[in-house]
Amino acid sequence: MKKDIIVSLVLLAGVISLYLSLGFMDDPRAANFPKVIIIIMGVLSALLLLQSLFLKRPKNSEGAGFPFGRFFICFFMIILYFIFMEALGFYLSAFLFFIAVTFILGSADLTARKAVMRVAIGFVFTGILFLLFKVLLAVQTPKGLLL
Amino acid sequence: MAEFLHYFPQALTFTNLLTLVLGVIGGLVLGATPGLSPTMAVALLVPFTFHMDPATGLILLGAVYTATVAGGAISAILINIPGAPANIATLLDGHPMAQQGKSQTALYYCFISSLIGGLFGMLVMILFTPPLAKIALKFGPSEMFWIAIFGISVMAGLSSGSILKGLLGGMFGLLISTIGYSPLLGSPRFVYHDVLTGGVAIVPALIGLFAIPQVFALVESLGSKLERPDFEPEKGVLFKTIAENLKMVKSLGIGSIVGSVIGIIPGAGGQVAGLIAYDQAKKFSKKPESFGTGNPEGVVAAESANNAMVGPSLIPLLTLSIPGSPTAAVLLGGLLIHGLFPGPDLFISHASVTYTFIASLVLAQIAMCIFGIILSRYSYMVMSVPNLFMIAAVTVLAVYGTYSVQNSFDDVIVMFSLGTLMYIGRKFGFSPAPVVLGIILGPIAEDNYLKGKLIADTDVGVLSYFFTGSMNIIIILLCIASIGYSVYGEIRAYRKAKEAAA
Repeated sequence: MKKDIIVSLVLLAGVISLYLSLGFMDDPRAANFPKVIIIIMGVLSALLLLQSLFLKRPKNSEGAGFPFGRFFICFFMIILYFIFMEALGFYLSAFLFFIAVTFILGSADLTARKAVMRVAIGFVFTGILFLLFKVLLAVQTPKGLLL
Repeated sequence: MAEFLHYFPQALTFTNLLTLVLGVIGGLVLGATPGLSPTMAVALLVPFTFHMDPATGLILLGAVYTATVAGGAISAILINIPGAPANIATLLDGHPMAQQGKSQTALYYCFISSLIGGLFGMLVMILFTPPLAKIALKFGPSEMFWIAIFGISVMAGLSSGSILKGLLGGMFGLLISTIGYSPLLGSPRFVYHDVLTGGVAIVPALIGLFAIPQVFALVESLGSKLERPDFEPEKGVLFKTIAENLKMVKSLGIGSIVGSVIGIIPGAGGQVAGLIAYDQAKKFSKKPESFGTGNPEGVVAAESANNAMVGPSLIPLLTLSIPGSPTAAVLLGGLLIHGLFPGPDLFISHASVTYTFIASLVLAQIAMCIFGIILSRYSYMVMSVPNLFMIAAVTVLAVYGTYSVQNSFDDVIVMFSLGTLMYIGRKFGFSPAPVVLGIILGPIAEDNYLKGKLIADTDVGVLSYFFTGSMNIIIILLCIASIGYSVYGEIRAYRKAKEAAA
């Protein structure tokens, strides 16, 4: 299996670099336990490589193609959410994130009626969070500009 | 049993009962929602319990755990998609019943048999947990070290398709647990960025590993349509179903006993329990050919088994820190953030919290049945919640839950990084459960290894200290047996797949 060969090679490279990094630790005694784990990981990665090279598994039917576009849009929306969270405050940024996700990822079937419904659901969801955690439980969150 | 009865009234306070009911309703809805796993639901809830009294927090987690297992049967019956792995066997006869217009009857069978199996499992748990905890009292550092390794080995074997990947996941978790300052020497390890100075805390890891991959998986599934729920309301079937269900003593008995036995075996989980109970009920049935065509006995056996597993799966968790299922592993995280460490101490120093929690699990089984029956009429609506809202809501809750525990934005970054890494890992066949268990059991393993080494250096030597002694040998043999069993299962699955491909 190609996938397993790639995984085991990446793991072996990671294990070797981690092992080398142990030499830079301030106190070598602190490296004892991680060293044992890294060695075991190295052995397991090597076994995985051997298994994938010599034990040919029957091919599984793969599903539909991976939706790279949607995945990266969602990934960057989450990053933007983090960036704006400290500036705008938790509740406002959560509301905006909710709207952004439902509008951008659900743009294919967006109608005026659905848009109003999505804003309303986002408002209710954030409102429940605010009531439950800010008002009732008084949990601290990033304040930012507004909430 | 006496302690259990003594602390039982504490579970009946207004706050605890309200928390229990809300947890059960929430758990049923979350369990029924396709695309949301029970493990992720409990993981998302863990940080919110941090702000609660320990007993109340654990009641919430226990109620959600109990109800999601039963709630998963709703989507299994109505749309042929198990809400949780534990419900795989339920759909074999549950969905054909729904297709025949008996969806409500099937749901009633499911909740009633879940209650009976669940109560049986709780009885087993109440009887067996304290004696086992007393045995654990005799464990020293070497035994505790091996117990931690055993915990990882069982989870590694059962949660991944490949034992090697499971073990690699467990080791990766152990390695993550060493990030930060060394507990004994105070020296920094793998602190490549300021964010990692404090190490990786349990809550960000739990949420990241379980929730973020699920968010991305939901993004992937956008646009794909689910099967339309087969639901037709039926009138006046409740009492008839209860009477019929109680007559199915054989299926109930098989389900409850199989579920309890499988539950005690660490790592086996509800999926195995449901399938074995279903298979046995079919073998003992007078009409085995009717199984798979909508025979209620199939639903009864599977559902009584997977709920009977809930209580016993907590026996190794509460006594030895070894969870019986991935959800129980998350529950272990819930115990730890309240400063409750599994073992004999839980039943001595924290007896009030522990027994209140156990009592609430009994009540949760009853509440699950009552609210399950009430909600079953409206359960098809849950299937209609669009994934878009789930993506947004789960992400916001994941961020909020992670941040709120230590008011740390660094935790949010750790949570998201681990989650993204796990999502990629899942694409290559890795599972989050062994990683989580590695992170949780890592400090236990390292602490006891270092303590044991100190003792050994002044006494009989490391090899002799860790590899001799009857209890050490038993646990080492259990580790070998657990890995050996997984390797055997993998070879069998490989041969079957090869035969099928030929």
